[in-house]
Amino acid sequence: MNDKLLEVKDVYKTFDRVVHALNGVSIEARENEIVGVVGENGAGKSTLMKILVGVYSPDKGELYHKGRRVPFPRNPKEAARRGISIVYQEKGVIPWLKVYQFLFLGHEDKYIKLLTLQMDRMKEQACEILEELHVACKVEAYMHELPLSTQKKIEIARAILGVRLESEDGETTPIIILDEPTAPLTDNECKEMFRDLLKMKKNASFIFISHIIPEVMEYTDRVHVLRDGNLVAQYDLSEEKMTEEDLFRAIVGRKSSEYISRAEDREVAGKEVVLSAKNLTKRGHFYDVSFDLHRGNCIGFFGPAGSGKSKIIRTIAGLMNHDEGQLTAKDQELKADELPHERLSRGIGYFSGETGKELFLNWSIAKNISIINMKKILGKIIPVIQFKTERKMAENIVQKLEIKAPSVRTDCYSLSGGNKQKVSVGKWLERNPDILLLDDPTIGIDVGSREDIYEVLLEMKKKDISMILVSDEPKEYSILCDNIMFVMDGRVQKVLGPEEFRKVMST
Amino acid sequence: MNNQNTNKRIFSVITQTLKMHPVIIVLLALIVIFGSIYPDRFFSPINFKSILRQFVTLTLFALGPSFVVLTGRLDLSFVGVWMLGGVFVWLFKPILGMFAIIMIPVVGVATGLFIGVIQTKAKIPSFILTLSLLVTYTGLSALIAGGYPRAVEGYEFITSPLIPLIPTAFLLTIPIIAAAIFLMKYTRICVYLNAIGSNEEGAQLAGINVDKYKILAFMLSGLFTGIGAMILFQHLGGSAQMELKLNTIVWPLVAIVLGGTPLTGGSGGPQRTLLGAITFTVFYRGLYLSALHPIMVPLLVGVLLIVSIIISARGLKGVTVT
Repeated sequence: MNDKLLEVKDVYKTFDRVVHALNGVSIEARENEIVGVVGENGAGKSTLMKILVGVYSPDKGELYHKGRRVPFPRNPKEAARRGISIVYQEKGVIPWLKVYQFLFLGHEDKYIKLLTLQMDRMKEQACEILEELHVACKVEAYMHELPLSTQKKIEIARAILGVRLESEDGETTPIIILDEPTAPLTDNECKEMFRDLLKMKKNASFIFISHIIPEVMEYTDRVHVLRDGNLVAQYDLSEEKMTEEDLFRAIVGRKSSEYISRAEDREVAGKEVVLSAKNLTKRGHFYDVSFDLHRGNCIGFFGPAGSGKSKIIRTIAGLMNHDEGQLTAKDQELKADELPHERLSRGIGYFSGETGKELFLNWSIAKNISIINMKKILGKIIPVIQFKTERKMAENIVQKLEIKAPSVRTDCYSLSGGNKQKVSVGKWLERNPDILLLDDPTIGIDVGSREDIYEVLLEMKKKDISMILVSDEPKEYSILCDNIMFVMDGRVQKVLGPEEFRKVMST
Repeated sequence: MNNQNTNKRIFSVITQTLKMHPVIIVLLALIVIFGSIYPDRFFSPINFKSILRQFVTLTLFALGPSFVVLTGRLDLSFVGVWMLGGVFVWLFKPILGMFAIIMIPVVGVATGLFIGVIQTKAKIPSFILTLSLLVTYTGLSALIAGGYPRAVEGYEFITSPLIPLIPTAFLLTIPIIAAAIFLMKYTRICVYLNAIGSNEEGAQLAGINVDKYKILAFMLSGLFTGIGAMILFQHLGGSAQMELKLNTIVWPLVAIVLGGTPLTGGSGGPQRTLLGAITFTVFYRGLYLSALHPIMVPLLVGVLLIVSIIISARGLKGVTVT
């Protein structure tokens, strides 16, 4: 029963000779099991899977199939021949095809007789396989008419079918990779999908990629944890007793030594409340979130990806609308359907660490800074842009943040990642909003630049700007936050002070 | 010493300008080429006048849509505004007298508002929306006018010669150009439209009311097209036209792209369109005077459009926004 079906050993993969996506990772999948591969964004999950299905080729590594060493597949068709197929997160379904057409998409050549497609044979076989895999639906139905969970199951059926049609002997047990399959599904749809997935275990093995911890805990037999391109842990969930928090800590890592306690930067609550939320709810994402943000304070929402933490901050920014609850700023209730520009006019700014979102890369530094400070550079009498003021404002920021650039007229796309980030944070420094929402403020930049960004943010905090932080980096919370709200499954589990937070993270 | 410094400065200004507007090089090259092949015909007063005349047509049609192209959208309704506006002038002349010409910008702004609202609220691709509207306007014009062109008299003063060699329509175009350049260079409208074309999500995060400025772009397009079409109405014959010509739609687009505003938006604008318009006119007139068979010309225009679209989409990424 527990034969090793597929084994990957010591896989290395580097991109552009710099980024180590995978550093000697080994995983295995056994017959008739669901094996989980979990990790944060950028941990290397997707790279590993793309190597398995032949999209990338590894720099180094070995692949064993039923104990026999085989070369890595060079393309998805070759992978299917070895029994490996993948169901992607989304966009895999073609809505205007009928179920049987979709099932055989790309394999029509096996059903051609006298230049015509044998529709009846295809339908017959489609019925058979759907029945075998316990998928209840009509083969004549259009894909878009079916519920999302059924669509997902048909996609899985298609992957299994593809392996059967492609593999040489037809005997190979299919190994189906599920790349975060539940992302587009609602809770009920998820449950339904997993119920049938457990039945399908008879017919295939699954590699289940996810960062949603409860799912992994409930439905997988074993789990591999990847972090920064390394395999950091593997657990046999049927034998070992684990809590969700244990797994979460394995994913995030215990970076306790890096924590800097900066008590002097923190202030006790007591100043007036600038933003308060009461039972803020967005169905399907987060429920009953309540908090009071005081002037000059910083609240952090901490939790695993998919916990709803970034949805909370996006809702406050006006990028999403909440369904229930109240959001109040300066004694005024914020309507759910307000857009980001309306929120900004109330003093709520949204700063995303993704420079592609935040910056206009084909623009100069000066223009990027002045765009949200337009009022400062327009003439008092006639609203005409004062180029001199614009330039001085930008030069000021460049000097203050030590942005390395030939001049303020330099286009942003030519700057390094850290300097780009400084430009984005610099424009908010100039704008001086009441509340700044930080969405992963230091994503993708080097350690040195990170420290610089923290310096700026702490300085802004001292100037009584309130902040809300969401990040993948636990360290950031203990540097910036006064209160940390632990979010799991869309609900705030507990509220911690920075000291407690550090204790929890280091045990 | 001082002299040397000034020279250096002039040199750097020139290189900077050329870097920002590479089409100037093309323009100069075209003048040199055509001028050296047949200097007599190319540098003749008649040709000079023809170039100016054609430049006026092209510029007035292309200025408005430039605002929209800047946001990464497309507005093809400009020809429709000119046609339907012309028919309205003919229709309202008996009632409004000379003021009937005002109908053209009214049609323009109304059209812009209509497209803008539909485009932003219903999220329809602007290309197909404006194209459908253009066809609708053609049909509507023909219906109102009874199917054939209607001459309208009384606006001859618009094109009556004032200065020898320079068409009056050109003189009237200058303030329109100036207004467009002012809008683009010194007001926040330019920055916001560019922002939407460059990075719409970023623009939203920077607190720009994206929908409002998209609608504004279409309205500006309609306004500039409308004002321009007042001149064009007389410039192109003083009658309400019925026939939809492909060239009237495509040439302004060539001028926009050639000037350096990529159709994906994000940089450029009306000021570049002017350079595109003059370059295209010189190109067209040069070919027109050459020994090439006239049938060749549309082919070459098409090739020019394709090449400039490819270059503007790829090569000009680093060109600074003015």
